[in-house]
Amino acid sequence: MSLQTDQPVVVVNNLSKTYEVPERDAGLLAALRSLVHRRVRSIHAVAGVSFTIQAGEIVGFLGPNGAGKTTTLKMLTGLLHPTGGEARVLGYLPARREPAFLRQITLVMGNRNQLQWDLPALDSFELIRAIYRLPIAGFRSTRDELIELLEVGDLVKKPVRNLSLGERMKMEIIGALLHRPKVLFLDEPTLGLDVTMQRRIRAFIAEYNRRTGATVMLTSHYMADVEALCRRVIVIHHGRVLFDGQLSGLVEQFAAYRTLVVTLAEHGIDLAAFGEVIARDGLRYTLRIPKAAAPLITARLLAEAPVVDLVVEEPPIDDVIEQVFAVEAA
Amino acid sequence: MELARLVVVFARVGILNELQYRVNFFFQILESAIALLTALISLALVFRHTTMLAGWQPAELLVVMGIYGLMSGIVQAVIQPNMVRLARDVFDGRLDYILTKPVDAQLLISIREWQVWRFTNVGLGLLVAGVGMIWGQIGFDVWQALLFVGMLLCGILALYSFWLILTSTSFIIVQIENLINLFEGLFAAGRWPVSIYPGWLRVLLTFVVPVAFAVTVPAEALTARLTGATLVLAVGVSVGLFVIARLCWRWGLSRYSGASA
Repeated sequence: MSLQTDQPVVVVNNLSKTYEVPERDAGLLAALRSLVHRRVRSIHAVAGVSFTIQAGEIVGFLGPNGAGKTTTLKMLTGLLHPTGGEARVLGYLPARREPAFLRQITLVMGNRNQLQWDLPALDSFELIRAIYRLPIAGFRSTRDELIELLEVGDLVKKPVRNLSLGERMKMEIIGALLHRPKVLFLDEPTLGLDVTMQRRIRAFIAEYNRRTGATVMLTSHYMADVEALCRRVIVIHHGRVLFDGQLSGLVEQFAAYRTLVVTLAEHGIDLAAFGEVIARDGLRYTLRIPKAAAPLITARLLAEAPVVDLVVEEPPIDDVIEQVFAVEAA
Repeated sequence: MELARLVVVFARVGILNELQYRVNFFFQILESAIALLTALISLALVFRHTTMLAGWQPAELLVVMGIYGLMSGIVQAVIQPNMVRLARDVFDGRLDYILTKPVDAQLLISIREWQVWRFTNVGLGLLVAGVGMIWGQIGFDVWQALLFVGMLLCGILALYSFWLILTSTSFIIVQIENLINLFEGLFAAGRWPVSIYPGWLRVLLTFVVPVAFAVTVPAEALTARLTGATLVLAVGVSVGLFVIARLCWRWGLSRYSGASA
């Protein structure tokens, strides 16, 4: 099966996955009873998700723990069979795990490693070369290019166990990209890394996408990752898509408030009449006001109070996301 | 050939891994020596009372013992470590990485671990079998040697399949350590030709745990005891077990959901 260049890389149509999990009450008696009579409960981890991703896109996949992100990624990489609906990646049905499909994708999981613990990463790269049957010349140039891009240099000759968490992640990423996949599924690739390392990895992903035109689907708990990399986000919660669109649109749609930072010329003015004061630092006040009323309140403030400085800010993306999930849960 | 190429590459990395722990080598030699000594003592004890055991002479029993050592060496060096690793990977979800590779997953999970020091037992087993052959002045021709190698390969295939069937249960049972102990206990019976055991146990050791095909049958090939019927049965059971193992593995995979997140 071949793929036309203008076709979407990922097509997900009403995809769902239901797990049957054993369930019992706490306590010894309940445990004994469950030995004989097992109760199972259906968990709808993914409940009818649809979206498409075009070639070359970097899409952020957001949602709280248990939202169905990882389950969806696993169905897209062929690790799980969908209970219903269909997923196609590069025109293939992932669950069939055809070698021609698997050669074109890669999966990076921030919480699991695949490299040999006791050996230098270089040895693990050789294993990967054998698995993918990569020609030696192409393999070397890809490997060296990645080593240079991620600035790991001689670290590839040190046993993986002696590397820091961040260095190890870089090695994992190199290992995952040696076969030059067209589609990257990155599940929390910056998990547990310090801010500098997160930024490095982020910059690398952006550069890799620019150089190779690879499609990237990324989940992360760090909104900074998403803000820096993804113009488009898909927000998933309770197994359903809550939002699919531009990151700015998410803020637009879900941020019901604006933050107003006002600096006044004198003390003794009560700003509570204009909005909820959420912080105060000397003459500098931070107010939270309803989005719709922002222009009006701003105008009133400027007219009625001795304003030295006034800035209208969109709330931080983290807050917006939190709000999205809070609203949904209510 | 794809299979051989991958095996070589993985074995190389496995050996590199093990070379980091040189002390293991010396412990392994010690362990093998003690095991051999115990086995020889038990053999000597038996032959203080009799000169023949179910039709096997002392020298021939030494051959059986050698082949037992060889086989348990192979199990400990490659089969068991890979299966233990598989069970662990199923448990913590690391099997995900294997399943996203464009190579048959069963092949990959079977060749990842190489505890090379355990091959000491293989060498020692061959040595013991050789001593038995010389001591008993047991001659063999090319045809017998080929049969012996063929039966060894069938035995390895049967043991591997048996292990894979056991380990495939790790997709539903978390603990497989008990199964490993069970196997080791039963496999130890292979020190002796299965013909010395009572009928029910012989059936168990032939068709349930393939000890008979792994140890006794290759020894029969070497000591000119192998009948055509046994030969056909050995090939049939090995291939049959392999097919069943493949089905069990597929079934296990279909139940695999990966440790979540």
